[in-house]
Parts: sequence; structure tokens; C-alpha cells
Amino acid sequence: MENIDPAEYQKRLDRLAEIYRQIGHHAEQQALHRCPYKNRRDECTAKFGCRYQQRTPDQSLPLCTSDDQLDYRSAWEIDPDSVAQMRQLLQQQNAPESVSPQVSVNLKTGAGKIGLSLFDHADTLNEKIPSSCGRVGTCHECIVEVAAGMDGLSPRTQHEAFLNDDFRLACQAKVLNPQADINCRTLRRIPQILTATTSTTQLPVDPCVTRHDDEVHYEGEVIDKYRGHLLGIAIDLGTTTVIVELINLESGAVLATSAIENPQRFGGSDVMNRISYDAGPFTGELHGAIIRTLNSEIEQLCEQASVKRRTIYEIVVVGNATMRELFFGNDVQPIGQRPYKSEIEQAYRQGKLASTAVVELATNLNIRVNPQGRVYGVPLIASHVGGDVAAALVAINLAEQTETVMLVDAGTNTEVVVGNRDQLLVASCPAGPAFEGGLVTHGMPGCQGAIESLKVDGDGFQYQTIGSVTPVGICGSGLIELLAELRRHGRMTPLGVFEDRVQTLDILPAHGITFSRADASHLAQAKAANYCGQVALLREFDIGPSEISCLYLAGGFANYVDVDAACEIGFLAPVPSNRIQKIGNAAAQGARELLLSRRQRLTLESLIRKAKHIELETVPDFFDLFVDGCQFQPMSF
Amino acid sequence: MPPAENSPPLNDIQNDVVRQEISEFILHEDERRRIIALFAKTNPQMQEIAAGVIQGAHTEVDALTQAALKAETSAMEIMDDGLIAGMAIVGIKFRENFIFVPEVLACARAMKAGMQHIEPILSASGIKPIGRVIMGTVKGDLHDIGKNLCIMMLRGAGFEVIDLGVDTSPDDFIDAVEEHDAKLIGMSALLTTTMPNMGRTIEAFIDADLRDDVMFMVGGAPVTPEFAEDMGADAYGDSAVECVEVAKQLATKLNG
Repeated sequence: MENIDPAEYQKRLDRLAEIYRQIGHHAEQQALHRCPYKNRRDECTAKFGCRYQQRTPDQSLPLCTSDDQLDYRSAWEIDPDSVAQMRQLLQQQNAPESVSPQVSVNLKTGAGKIGLSLFDHADTLNEKIPSSCGRVGTCHECIVEVAAGMDGLSPRTQHEAFLNDDFRLACQAKVLNPQADINCRTLRRIPQILTATTSTTQLPVDPCVTRHDDEVHYEGEVIDKYRGHLLGIAIDLGTTTVIVELINLESGAVLATSAIENPQRFGGSDVMNRISYDAGPFTGELHGAIIRTLNSEIEQLCEQASVKRRTIYEIVVVGNATMRELFFGNDVQPIGQRPYKSEIEQAYRQGKLASTAVVELATNLNIRVNPQGRVYGVPLIASHVGGDVAAALVAINLAEQTETVMLVDAGTNTEVVVGNRDQLLVASCPAGPAFEGGLVTHGMPGCQGAIESLKVDGDGFQYQTIGSVTPVGICGSGLIELLAELRRHGRMTPLGVFEDRVQTLDILPAHGITFSRADASHLAQAKAANYCGQVALLREFDIGPSEISCLYLAGGFANYVDVDAACEIGFLAPVPSNRIQKIGNAAAQGARELLLSRRQRLTLESLIRKAKHIELETVPDFFDLFVDGCQFQPMSF
Repeated sequence: MPPAENSPPLNDIQNDVVRQEISEFILHEDERRRIIALFAKTNPQMQEIAAGVIQGAHTEVDALTQAALKAETSAMEIMDDGLIAGMAIVGIKFRENFIFVPEVLACARAMKAGMQHIEPILSASGIKPIGRVIMGTVKGDLHDIGKNLCIMMLRGAGFEVIDLGVDTSPDDFIDAVEEHDAKLIGMSALLTTTMPNMGRTIEAFIDADLRDDVMFMVGGAPVTPEFAEDMGADAYGDSAVECVEVAKQLATKLNG
């Protein structure tokens, strides 16, 4: 290789620098009257939106329509004044009559402005919507669900092709129709009272991440210098609700918790919908959605606890098979078709893997914690019975139970376990979202304003809402009680037919809350799935409900269920009510324990090997069971 | 006067593109004469490289430079007769408003594609870059042209530049510093709404215990020297031209 004289090289550099310097000066002068993103053909080369861009069908780049009279900077700046002025002009052109629709974002309502996006309206209403692309439609963070007024919005743009049903990007959807009121919302925060699990015992603390003087070790390997904290994140990744906890790995203390709706809702409400959504053409969108949301939740938790994200070294994710594999960016299609097993589970069954647990570097999943941080995916049990049930088994300490117990984790997918430390049967029942606020006209998740309990009172109802505020809808526990009360008072038959054969009951006429036969039918089917799982497993285990030493009832809303009502309508097996123990969110509790304890992980792995999975569809009299289960009456054995 | 003085031997230049570019865009007589004279004595391979730079054809310049080095053309000749000669014409075309910033940046990218093959020879000869700079537009901001001009000029001045692109989060900056072991960071913001993210990035470095290891220079239309000081930046550059001077000063401080 030749040897270059530094002085000679410097001469060339100086010449080049002089050429560049002149270019720099000229660029600066030119920028005062010509947008620098505009090329010689007057096309716009910017990668962001600008009001002067004009798309033409035959060109890849938009044309710049600026007349170069304005200071170019005003074209870029999201200047509320200048942009609003332009839009007001638009509004006058579009809507000669001075009618303006009402626009609500997250229940805050204001006068709508024609031509403005939902994002702009949220700004005016002081409602924060996440975004990181400068509102040009590319980051997909500003997804909103439009509950009313979809027709009044501009058509979907190319950036929204991945969304269907009632979902839009707030930055793309513009208010167009002066007659149509619009009601939309971002992700809902779930109040903590419905998610908190009471941990009764002091947890053992022996995490994978440990401190050795000034070093941080992961499984014995040095991964960082000690930065003042050793933190971990436990995630209970439900199909409907996601709970994220920030935990101190040295003390075991929970520093902060957040609970939010799963942001993947735009891909459907149950796992099968999500699987088919992920089949394409928008493969990866669901994975991206949960990762982006998680990053923003982690940021907020760290802010709340005044700690740094770089001190988070391990994340434990607990979820059903679909949720877990979507989280890790794995193909979920095998879970959607027989034999309903993820690729990892198939490899495990063929002996190619020692466990269905996965460990990945957080940075590989684009999760913003310490660059050396690890993500542990809790092992799956079988098919749809995933890591959430595995974690629940940890929470109820099944590995040490000598007597036979039962676990019912009620949710969009209800999981049932019957067993003891030596033997266990598991089943998954696709109940659907009816008890979680979906499908039922006035159903809602357990948020503020949800009716959580109600009793027949004369011709009307007495009720109690979460937060003791004006009722907005009915959540799962309220629905179960409603069904039981209607039965108790003879106002509904076991088949869900209302008194006097009316189609709709006015539950709270003053608040417009009704209950229809279609609602009852959705609930009947959801309940039937729970019923099948419980009856089939008890039968297979050859044990009666009265012999069960404890029925652990888990799941977000289950904690608030009146167990007598639940048994009366056949939602739960008739185990004596003093032996039914509500354990709140067992999966979240298990996730916490698995984050804190290596020993628990090992114990769980060996317990899982003893599990036998019952595929409900292959139970010979499944159809009969299902039909029985649709009736609102106690389970029969 | 002898004809050679009046009409320079344009036909002595073998490359069609270079010939055409000169006849079409270099209008001042003196300049034209000087450039023709420069190109007339260069060999056709170098003219091809120059043509590639002028057309912003980075893959061609990449391949041609590699081939020329393989054929034992000296690196200095490639810089003189190919890369810089081409860039000189680009500079004139820009000055005369025949091309604009997007085209210039495409040419600079082609230039870089050629220079990357010369860099190993430089380091083998013991010539180090005068510094390593990480450049990015801050989180939430998608404007890149000012930053790209800065990068062009920094590279022209002998800096090694790692370009993080647009919408760069604080963690991206931190990761880049750790990955590339760089100490100088340039941040750009073009919106008043994203300008505070510069300060947040600096705070993230404080949080990560890395603030003392690095120096920040900031710039962009809404940024003022006062704002730069408020957010705790080490230096402020008013323009792409100034950016180079600022970077040089900071590099000296870092080395001293």
C-alpha cells in the first residue's frame, strides 16, 4: 500500500474544505428564499409532511407548490397560528353554514373544526396522544378507537391501511362533516384497584441479576458497572390488559405499577383475530405496537420512581402463547391452526429444545432498558395454555400442593387447571371478550364509571360503580351479578329469554343502560366456554367439585365477582364458597415471583413437564357440554 | 491571439459527461479555462470518477475508486483528478443555481463513497481523522438537510462522522457513543417543538453517567446561543460553515 504524505493530504483537504465552504455560504443565502428540500425539478425531497407538497400520480416525489415568497421555515414549523389560519380558510370553503360538530377525545369534548385532524383536536382539548414521527402517519403510535362519528372523518390514508374497524390514526383522520359528532379515545388506563394482587408472603429474592461490589452480574457474567440500582420489569401481557411493574431486584419491592389496555386491539379482540391479523399484509404491526407501548410505559414508571432506565437489567414476560410469541416477534401462525402449537413448543416436543422458555437481549427487541438487559419469556404449558397460566401456578404454589386444587383464570381466554404437585390437567377455553367489556352493548372494562355490582330493587336496580361516579357501562362482575339477579327474580329463563319476551331490558333508563337478548346470548357463549373447561377437566381428573380443596379464582374482573352469583349461573364449578379463594391477578403475581427468583423458574420448569393438556374440541361430547353450558344455571355433574 | 488562448481545448477531455457539464454549466471564461486545463491532463479513469461525483452516482464512484486503487493509481491522484475535480464543478453549478441542495448532497454522498476506500490508506500512513463526531437530528424531528450539510462539511474537513439520521432518541445517541467510542456529539433541531429534546438528550447523558465523557455542539434554525447555553451544550454553531470551526475547537479541547 502506498504511503501518503500528511502534508500533501492536508493540501487536498483544504481545497475540498474551501469548495464546501463556498457551498455552505451559498446554501445559507439561498435558504432565505428557497426551501433547501426542493430539488432542481421543484420536487420535494423531504421525508416529512409539508403543506406545500402536492402529489401527482406519475411522480414518486411530490411537487413543491411554494411560490418561494414565504420564508421557507414557516412551511415546516408546526406553528399553531399559521397552520390554524390556513385551516380556518379551508373550513370557510368547506362549511358555509356555521355548524360545528362536537369532538370528544378521551371523554373531553369541544367544538370540532372542519379540516383539522383528531390529533389537532386532542391538542386543543389538552389531551396527550403519543407520536414520534411528527404526525405524518409513519410511527403508528397515535392509534385511536372511534366510538362514534366514523362517517364524519376523512377516508383512511395509505398510512392507515393496516387498521380496520373503528381504528384510525389520530394524525390522519380529519374532521370533515359538520353534522357528525365524533367520539374517540386512545388507550385506556385500567385503574389499579382491579389489577393489584395482594402478596401475602415475603418473596424470596434470588434474581438472575446480582450485584457484586461495583459490578452487575447476569447469571455470573459481568454485564455492567453498578449504577445505584438493580431493577427489573415484570409484565403480565394479557390479550386485553397489560400490567407492567417496576421492581427492585435487591429488595423485592414493587416501585411502580401501570395497567393499560393491550394496544394490539386494532388487530382484533381475541387471540385468533390477532393471529389472522398477523398473517399479513401487516405482519409485525402487532409486535411493534406492544413494544412501543411498553417503552413508553417503562419511561413513565421510571419517572414515577425517579430511577434510570439503564438500571433495568431484566424483564420477565408472562403471556398466553400468542401474546408471548407476538411480543418476541415470532411467527404466530402455527398457534392458529392444529395442533395449535408455537414453533418453540413444537421444537420442545420434538426434543430439540430443553424448555419453551426464551431469553433474548432487550435491545434486540428494541426495548429501551440497559443495553445488556435480558428478556425472559416464561415457558408455555401447551398450545394456548401459556406462560400466564404457568405464572399463575407459581402464584398458587402448586408445586407444593399435596391436595387437589383448581385454578380458573377468567379472561378473554379462560384457563382452567385441576391438579396437585404430582399431576395436573390444563385446558384453555376461548371465552371471548363478552365479560371483559366486548360485544355487550353496554359492557365495558373495569374502569371508572363501570357498574361492578347491581341488585334488583322493585322495578329498577340498585347499583354500585367503580369510583362511585355516574354509570357509563357494566363490567364483568356487574354482568355476572345482573344475570344472577335476573334469574333469581324470574325475569330471565335459563335460556336467556326475558320476561314478557321483550328484546331489551332497560336496566338504568336514566343513564341509557340497557341489556338485550343478543347481549345475553354473547354472555351465554362466553360462559359456556368456561363451563366446558371446568366440567371436562374435573371429569377427566375423576374428582367432584366438593372434593376440591381450594378453587383459586384469578383474572382481573374475577376478583370482584360475587362467587354465589357466579356459581348460580354456572360460571364457576359449585365448589363450597368458603373454599373459593380470589387471588386477583395471579399471572402478574407469578411474573413478579419469577422475576425475583431463579429457584421459582427451575421449579416451574419441572412442574410444567407433569402437565397434561386437554384439548376441549376433541372431548367426545364437547358439543353437548357447550349447549348445557350456554344455560344460565348451576353446573351439573 | 493564438486560438489556444481563446478557445481552450475542450475536446482534449475524453469523458463525454465532463465535457458536456463544462460546456453547459461553467459560464465564466476564466473559470472555464482553468477547469478545462485541469481536466485535459487527467486520465480517462479519473474523469469517469469526476463524472460520477458530478452526477451524484455513488455506486459508480465506489466501484471506480476501488478499481483505480487496484490498478495502483495513487490516492492523491484520485483525490485531485477525480473526486475533488468533480466536486469543484458541483460547487460551481450550485453557485450558479443550476442545481440545489438535494443534488449537492447526492454528490457529497458520491464523494464519500470514493473517500471511504482512501481512508484505510490514510490510516496505514499514520494519518488520523482530526476527530470522530456523532451527528443526528433529535427525537421527534425529521429535518435532515442542515445536519447533512454539516456532515458533508465535517467530512470535508477531515472528521470521521457517524450519522444517526433523523428522529434520534437520547438512547440512540448514548448507544452510538458507546459503540463508536466517540466524544463529540452534534445535535440538530429544526422545530421549536423538538428543540427541547436537545436538552433532554443531554440530561439522558447525565443520567447515564456519560456527560463528562462527551461534548455537545448544537444547531438548527430555532436554536440560539442562549438556548444552547441554557440546555447545557458545550458549543453552538450558527451555520454549516460554523459547525466545522466549532467542531475543530471542541476536538482540540477534547484532545488537550
